[in-house]
Amino acid sequence: MKKEIPILLGIITGILWYGEFFIAGMFQENQKLFFANGLKIAGVVGVAVGVYSVARQNYYKIKYNNERYYAILRVAMIFLMIFLGVISGTSSGTPFSSMFMNVYVPFQATVFSLLAFYIASAAYRSFKAKSVESGVLLVASIIVMLSKIPLGGEIWSQIPVIGEWIMDSPSSAGRRAIIFGGYLGSITMMIRIFFGLERSHLSE
Amino acid sequence: MKKILEKLKKIDRRIIYLLVFLSIIIPLLPGFDFLIFPVSPTKETKQIFDEIEGLNEGDAVFIDWAFDPSSKAELLPMFEAFFKHCLKKKVKVFIYYASINGINLGKESVKNITAMEEFNWAREGIHYINMEYVPIAADIRIFNMDVDFKGTYKKEGKIFEGVETLRDIKYMIGLSGSAYHFTHVDMQIRFNYKFGIAVTGVMGPDFVPYLQTGQITGMANGLRGAAEYERLVSDKYERNYYGSATKGMSSLTFSHLVIFGFVIVGNIVYYMDKRKRG
Repeated sequence: MKKEIPILLGIITGILWYGEFFIAGMFQENQKLFFANGLKIAGVVGVAVGVYSVARQNYYKIKYNNERYYAILRVAMIFLMIFLGVISGTSSGTPFSSMFMNVYVPFQATVFSLLAFYIASAAYRSFKAKSVESGVLLVASIIVMLSKIPLGGEIWSQIPVIGEWIMDSPSSAGRRAIIFGGYLGSITMMIRIFFGLERSHLSE
Repeated sequence: MKKILEKLKKIDRRIIYLLVFLSIIIPLLPGFDFLIFPVSPTKETKQIFDEIEGLNEGDAVFIDWAFDPSSKAELLPMFEAFFKHCLKKKVKVFIYYASINGINLGKESVKNITAMEEFNWAREGIHYINMEYVPIAADIRIFNMDVDFKGTYKKEGKIFEGVETLRDIKYMIGLSGSAYHFTHVDMQIRFNYKFGIAVTGVMGPDFVPYLQTGQITGMANGLRGAAEYERLVSDKYERNYYGSATKGMSSLTFSHLVIFGFVIVGNIVYYMDKRKRG
């Protein structure tokens, strides 16, 4: 039954979702809402599992003094945010929102912006014209880079034109191939799951 | 020469980081406004602008907020420029959040804009509405319905008058740093709305094929797209709607030039080293 029920669920949901494109009616609307709510509930349960997992992992870190102070800080922040959310809600102007806007937002933006430094370092060390192919890639990337900044057009008026051509023609052609390949793969996977041929999601 | 070559080969990465840091930070400092270069709008960004400009008062625009603070630098200025433009046109704005980490950021931004003297007439539930969080994947299933949004969202407001399903939406704008909006392109077949995309610079090329087929009506790409939009709105309404994107373009320009310089120097060092080794 461990295998049969998930396969059966896959077939039934497949029929419901596929049929939705051809059959209108209240039943279809309700089943969509049912699945959408199900997704939300699964998300909430996922958060609970995540909090438990982080708390458990950090408990051992605190217990065995493995970066103890970082672990204490991490757990304290999680529970502080939960506490603030519970006592005053999450809407604008609440302590939760203040913490989110003034701590979380700058932190996340900072971590993402660190990429600029790594890209510069990596470009210096590894972006080299070692062959004809890499030379073409290098020239194309420099043109595209220059075409994206206002100064590019000032250096040579044709830089934005060439940059646009690179994006619209060779780059777009490659992207189309990737998109087609991806969608064909998705359709194949969908059919395989629908007919119970694909069982990797059942740990097989 | 040999010494310089050796030094450049083994350049400390902290020097690279420092130069990148300076190229980003200096143009953003007060008093460095002379480093701001005017951006000329591309046809993709102008398409979005023209679509919104062509709307009538009371038409509905949907903004799908699918980004979190990591993409704030590029996408927040875009949202601000779109939202201001929509308010200028007096169209109804529905904002829903497909990213849970974006909700507070979005609400705060809406609050700041509607607190401005020019837009303080805008009321939630009448002129715009925050439709809260809808998880990615669930959103498509909910919006892909023929029942009304009002019933689904349990929200009240005059804004829902005449807007029941996606069929009643005149234009949808998706803001994201991922390929998530491909699904919105697919949904157009059923609901026949026009869809514009505002994405981070790195995601732009993914959507070019859809632009070429006409499935997407307009694309604002990266910080430049946001700066272009700020300029379009400012030029049209002859007011200063320039924001952080326009200022950030000077920073982007200089950091690009620094990276460009490093690539060139890296290649010169590589060839000199290669020649030396024979």
